[in-house]
Parts: sequence; structure tokens; C-alpha cells
Amino acid sequence: MHVKPSDVPPAVQLRDLSVRFGEVVALDHVSLDVLRGEVVAFVGPNGAGKSSLLRAMTGLVPTTGDVLINGRALRVARASGVAYVAQRSLARWDLPLTVEDVVVCGRQGHRATLSRPSSRDRAAARDCLALLGVQGLTHRRIGELSGGQAQRVLLARALVQDPDIIVLDEPFAGVDPGAVHGLADVLMKLNDEGVTVLCALHEIDIAAKHFARIVALQRRVLADGPPSQVLNGDGIAALYSLPVDHAQSDA
Amino acid sequence: MDLAAWILEPFSLSFMQRALVSGVAVGISAPVIGVWAVTKRLVYLTDGMSHAILAGVVAAAALGIAFTIGGVVVALLMAALVVFLVLRLGLPEDSAIGVVSQGLFAAGVVGATLLGDPRALAHILFGNPLTVTWPEVAAQGLLAIIVVAGCAWLAPAFAMAAFDPAHARTIGVRVGALDALLVISLALVVVIGLSTVGVLMCITLITAPAVAARLLTGSFTTAMLTASILGVLASIAGLLAAYHISWPVGPTIALIAIAEVALTSLIVLIRRGPAWRAQKAVTQERRREGVAHSGHSPRNSSE
Repeated sequence: MHVKPSDVPPAVQLRDLSVRFGEVVALDHVSLDVLRGEVVAFVGPNGAGKSSLLRAMTGLVPTTGDVLINGRALRVARASGVAYVAQRSLARWDLPLTVEDVVVCGRQGHRATLSRPSSRDRAAARDCLALLGVQGLTHRRIGELSGGQAQRVLLARALVQDPDIIVLDEPFAGVDPGAVHGLADVLMKLNDEGVTVLCALHEIDIAAKHFARIVALQRRVLADGPPSQVLNGDGIAALYSLPVDHAQSDA
Repeated sequence: MDLAAWILEPFSLSFMQRALVSGVAVGISAPVIGVWAVTKRLVYLTDGMSHAILAGVVAAAALGIAFTIGGVVVALLMAALVVFLVLRLGLPEDSAIGVVSQGLFAAGVVGATLLGDPRALAHILFGNPLTVTWPEVAAQGLLAIIVVAGCAWLAPAFAMAAFDPAHARTIGVRVGALDALLVISLALVVVIGLSTVGVLMCITLITAPAVAARLLTGSFTTAMLTASILGVLASIAGLLAAYHISWPVGPTIALIAIAEVALTSLIVLIRRGPAWRAQKAVTQERRREGVAHSGHSPRNSSE
């Protein structure tokens, strides 16, 4: 974790943040800070509000309360230095696009509205694919990718935005077990270069192994701290409403 | 008569020349916008809109204003009503589209009947490019150029919004504005096609060449190019059939466009062969397993 100089505002500040969909409360008065250079996993059962929290940080859902990015109110996510990687299953992998076409989308914010991708944009896209070790996929059709490859492509699309903060929703979902640790290593490498990494995760084993800070969500923040503190038997039992002995054997 | 004469001779006549330009304008613009309607899964909305636009055309005729204005206004009205029924009342999208489009279509039929000549109604429904005038052709050509140029220029933005709309929003792409632009363009194309294939057959020329092109090609650019070639071929063949064997123009163009899809499907099935189908089955199984491992479903993915 990077040391925060006292005069540098946190990367993310959430103040009394609530998200509602009609009568359904997805997030209820959540407040927390994420320091620059932190790696944070948000865990919790389905419906805990993990995705809603990430979407609130990227301006995709209406909220009450405040979202501050680097000390300023959130505008368009890219303009605030935030890159968003949505759940892979929500994208249209059946479309006739190449990997380069997808990654170059991330450059949209670097050029004039309605302008078309330039050769510089395409070169930047290829650089990011190379950084993630998948330059061989540049001209591959997106429908031919494995889960791990597709996730790296989405990560490259985020990286080409040159972000301060990357927000990832379930990045390990559907990824081959053999590719999970490679993908986690990529995230840690990005973090070493100063990027703040925020992930919503279902896989608490991955969260415990790779993330320095865990935030347990159940519409509110139930626990916030290192894995040993949040993902112990009692913490898992509280989060998933399990009997304590069962949770301890899982942990 | 040799083949060249069979094809060229009809177009020495002035009314066939006008019909040819009109057919080419619709034959290019409808399939090009169709590629995006198919991609965004807006085919049923487009079908409904092509019916609903009858009300706008009839209203424009009654008010003495351009059909284009009436058509676009009703297309937007339909879109607004559908959005209202879906978002405010929670109706399923297809139900809302069905109710609104058929209501407007019925109003249009009643209005056209009250206005007088029932042949005019048949003309609007099924088209007849043999009666089109040069000013109408010029307007069709201009609108077609606007639609095609817009689609070609905005292709990367349309693709971005179609692939991952949530990400597109986070980088400042106005996905809602692009969707609105697409709906307006579809309305324009239906109006352009009014006199050539009619409002009922226009959906075929929007959808069928686009579907055939998606089967044959591997990028949006080549899909738009291929679809427009197939659309022009269908338009010209329809005109020739009308001239030589007296088939109705609009329905004949539609039938040829559908035949293009059938032929393309056959080619693709032969080209892919059993090995491709076996590989696809394996890929689909792996994807299903991946989704099952992730615990994802449309219900929990929108938590």
C-alpha cells in the first residue's frame, strides 16, 4: 500500500452514499475512503450492492450523498481519471469486432466527440495489449476469446484510458482457474505502477490472497480491514448469514 | 432479346430511370441503417415503426406538409409512448411496441380512408416507384446520403455503444443520444422507402440484406458495404420483374431480399460444415460452464 501524504486527498471518498431502484435499497448510507494506490476488494452475497457501489463511483446510477474522486465531485468517470470494467457477461461478444476495435474504444475520451479513432489511438491500444501480454490477440475476433483473454482485453481497454483508478466488476467470473492468478498478478502490477484498483468479487479466496483491504458489504459496510480481520470465520458468517462453525470450515 | 438488353432496355424510359434512382437510394440507405437495427436488436421496433409511420404520413397529407416531417414526428411519438409504457407502467417492451404501433397504424388506415382514394392507401402500404417524380427522387437521394454518411461516420461510436453501453457512458459517449439518432434515421429511411417499397415492405429491405451481410462478413464496415450491394441488387431485380412480368414492385423487392438471406444461409452452412458446428457446440458448452462457475445470471448481474 502506498503512503498517503497528508495534503493529498483520497482517491475515492464516499459520503453517506445511497442507491435506490424504486422501492429497493441497493446501498444504504455508505461512507468510506480509498487512499491512492490501494487495492480494495468489495465482497458480499448477491444483492449486497457491490455492483451498485462500483456503478455509483462511475456515475452510472443516480445516487444520494457524495462521490468525490481525488477530492473533486465525480463528473464523467473518464474525465475524473476512473476507468470502469463492467461484468464481462454484460458485453456483446457476438459482435463483428476485433480485439483492437474494442481496446481502441477506451481512447474515445482522448479525442473530439464524434471523431474516429486515429493511428495514434490504435498504437496506444496495441501498447496496452502488449503490456498485458496479449499482443498476439490484436486482430482476433472477440467471439473467439477465452474468459481470461476477454478479461485482459477489457482491462487493456481500461488501461488505454490512462486512469488513476480502475474499477472492476467481477473480473474473475468465468475465468479459467489457471488464468485467475495471472490476471490477479496483472492487477497487482498495475497497482505497483500507482493505479488504485477497486474490485467487486464473489471469490473470497482470491480476495483473501491478493487484496490488502477487504470491504464486506451488505447494503451497508459490515466490515472494513485486512483479510485476516474481515474474512475470518465470524466475518464470513455475518456476511453470508452462515452458522459460525460452517463459516470457519470454509475460511 | 439478350440478357443485356433485357436488363438495360427498361431503363431507357424516363419513369424507369426515376424508379431506378429511387430504388438505389432506398436499396443503399435501408440496409446500411439495417445493420445497426439488427445489431441493436431493434428489428421489432423498426417493424412497428414502419406501421406507425402511416399515421404520420396521413397526418402530413391532411396538413399539407412534407411526409418526412409527419413520419419523423410519429416515429418519435411512438418511441416516447413505448418508453413511457415500459418505464412507468412496467410493460414488457414487445407488448408496448405492439400496442403503440398497431394503434397508430390503425389510426393511419382510418385517416387514409377518410381522406379519400383507397388506391393512395395501397400506394403508401406497398409502394410503387414507377409513379415517383424527380423532386421526390431528389429528396430521397438527399436523405439517403445523409443517413449513409452518418452511419459510416458514427460506426465506431455505434459499435462502442452496442458492445458495452455501460463502459461507453463512463467515457462520455452519449448512448441515449446515439439510440435516438438511430431511431430517427430508421424513421427517415421508412419515409424514404415510402414510394419505392411502401411502409409495410420497408422493414424487409432494412432487415434482410443486413442479416445476409452479417452472415457473410466479419466487420461492421464490410457488413454495411455488403448489405447496401445486396439492397441495390434486390431493388433493381424487383424493378425488372415489375417491368417484364408485371409483379408488384414493393413485394417483389422484399421477396428478392428474403431470397438473398436464404441463399446466404445456404452458402454459410455449406462453408462452415460439420466441423465448425461441432467446434461451436464445444465453445458454447465452455461458455455455459464459465457462466455457471461465475454464479452469474441476468438477475444477479444487476445487483
